[in-house]
Amino acid sequence: MKPSTIFSFHESLNAAFLEELFEGDTIYAETVFEDFLRDLPAYWEKVQSSYQQKNMSLLGTNIHTCKTLFGYVGFTDLQELCQEFENKCALNTAEALQADYGMLTRKKQEAQQIIENEYSRLKRFNEGQV
Amino acid sequence: MKTSCIIVEDIQIAADFLKKFCEKSGLVDVKGHFLNVADALEFLDQEKPDLIFLDVEMPGANGFQLLDSLTYSPKIILTTSKTEYAFDAFQYNVNDYLKKPFTYKRFLESVQKVQAQPVTSPATTTTAPSADMDFLFIKSDDKLVRLKKDDILFMESMRDYVKFVTPGKTYITYSTLKSMEEKLAGPSFIKVHRSYIININKIDDIRGNTIYVQGNAIPVGKGHKEDLAARLNIL
Repeated sequence: MKPSTIFSFHESLNAAFLEELFEGDTIYAETVFEDFLRDLPAYWEKVQSSYQQKNMSLLGTNIHTCKTLFGYVGFTDLQELCQEFENKCALNTAEALQADYGMLTRKKQEAQQIIENEYSRLKRFNEGQV
Repeated sequence: MKTSCIIVEDIQIAADFLKKFCEKSGLVDVKGHFLNVADALEFLDQEKPDLIFLDVEMPGANGFQLLDSLTYSPKIILTTSKTEYAFDAFQYNVNDYLKKPFTYKRFLESVQKVQAQPVTSPATTTTAPSADMDFLFIKSDDKLVRLKKDDILFMESMRDYVKFVTPGKTYITYSTLKSMEEKLAGPSFIKVHRSYIININKIDDIRGNTIYVQGNAIPVGKGHKEDLAARLNIL
């Protein structure tokens, strides 16, 4: 059976936006997902470090960076969540944001897992297209 | 003709998208990508691209600080994921604003819109020219330092570097005295020697061809004597 020429993104991702962003270029999508997986751990380490140091201004800046990264792989809802957290950083202490931080960390873990799977799927899809 | 541009963006994925879009459009020629404001300013000391794609939040100085330090008026497209900067963008008279992540369609609209806009003349720009402000930013030890103009005693040329001397500290930055002369044009500063610009308000006394500023002896060049005499309030 001939492989499908249309790649369907995971339901958690904003597929309409990703289709507009990549314009069907699944090779480039694979590159971006790979870059995301390469960059996110280092950025998240900075998030963790600033949270542990209770440096709220730096925490806001570091979340801001991760927010942008999430956007490029279609996690538009997580992007909004990061924006809310970033805004809260300006007004709250680390202790006050403990629950939000925990939730965001879980969401980030789930997101990373989804992108790992999507990256593997994209890779297989692109190999099938060659 | 293609519009020359630079990208100032600390997130690699975002910068890669921009480079890809620029190439695809055939309208924009990317002259460089910089991860921070200090490196971009260093480049802008030498080259003057037509357009800057400028992120706002970056480590060290932010995009608006770059705008404050510009010595000419390129077109500016702000690229940020925070809509709260829209008001600042308006105040700085930036040409357009792209909210990250943005699609190729949105990018193309923005570039075409900016290309259609006339080049801003320095007289009408509202991007704060550094000569009108009471401070400037200089890159020193891998960071941008905000320096009040009033605090500067004098500047000394050191080949490709300029030494800024203030009462408490000395800063060395990668720049030229000529560029500083342009940035600090105004009543307080005057070039008194090919290697020195001094703050007139800080002169203690002048003896012969030497100016004394808080214990520092600064030579007056032959070709600068007349200008200096004209600027001093001699009774």
